[in-house]
Amino acid sequence: MKAFHKRTEDATFELNLAPMLDIIVSIVPMLLLSVAFVHVTVIDTPVPQAVERAIAAANERNKDEVQVSLYVSKSGGRFVVTDTGQTKETFVAAKGEKIDLEALHKETLAIKQAYPDVFKLELNPDENFPLEEIVEVLDQVRTTAHGEPKIVIKDENGNPVETNLMFPDVIFGNVAGG
Amino acid sequence: MARRAKRGFAKYMDQRLPATFKIQITSMVDMFVILLVFLLKSYSTSPVNITPSDKLTLPVSTSTKAPDDVLKLVVSKSGIFVEDEKVVDLNDGVLDVKDVDESDTQFIRSLYSALDEQAKKSKNIAAVNEEIEFDGKVIMQADRSLPYDLLRKVMYTSMMAGYSDVKIAVYTKE
Repeated sequence: MKAFHKRTEDATFELNLAPMLDIIVSIVPMLLLSVAFVHVTVIDTPVPQAVERAIAAANERNKDEVQVSLYVSKSGGRFVVTDTGQTKETFVAAKGEKIDLEALHKETLAIKQAYPDVFKLELNPDENFPLEEIVEVLDQVRTTAHGEPKIVIKDENGNPVETNLMFPDVIFGNVAGG
Repeated sequence: MARRAKRGFAKYMDQRLPATFKIQITSMVDMFVILLVFLLKSYSTSPVNITPSDKLTLPVSTSTKAPDDVLKLVVSKSGIFVEDEKVVDLNDGVLDVKDVDESDTQFIRSLYSALDEQAKKSKNIAAVNEEIEFDGKVIMQADRSLPYDLLRKVMYTSMMAGYSDVKIAVYTKE
């Protein structure tokens, strides 16, 4: 009993936190220098080149290419779908001063479901259309939203593949003399 | 008497507790560990760190694509900058007529000169170093309120200078 008492008294000790504090104090300034409080990402928007235009023109001549164009302005968004020479237009009216993004997304989804193999969209914003709204439009046409049916496409072997991508390849159609 | 008093003081010095003491650093370590976890969570692993300037507000997007280490083009309301060097003056987002080419109203001459110089530099480096390739990529940091008309001119000019793959920098929507 006496021996037990002696052992418990010896077992108490204080943890020396000073070296740990030294390490943390060294790491914190390094992390503070490299920390990114604002995350910046990018959206790919390649502009059409002469070669690409020639290919597009050749495809148009073949009448096999489906072209999806979107003209956006303060009054709304106008989809122009050219399929085997036939042109179909749909208009999504603006809600007040701004584009009706929800309706625009629904229309994009409907076009995508009709043409699941087309991933390129030609965007033609109006001259006074601000960048902020262009980016909002890009967000709506790029991918499907959560809970929406996925797009089913076929791979090289003909097997169905599901994707949430609608029109990830957006090019500004009217940059070069549009 | 004085001798007795000194003896009393010496007795006091002997009897008092030692002057050494320990700082209680446990709470400080706790605080630093929390700070460390927060900083590690915000730590950027991207090789490219884009820091937008104070007078520039980027648009917000759902895009999560990390930026590449390419030429940086900044279009703010006060001017157009190529790699932090001002090349064109803008008056609240409006381009001066003298900066635009007379025959081609989409062409910004001073911007073309700056971009062409950068393209030549990159091509010269690519000619010497086989690992580097000139791919014509440019990250455009543009203010969200700027009209498409100005951005179209910038994109057109950059395309003419060989930078046809324009990437728009955006803030990530949380």
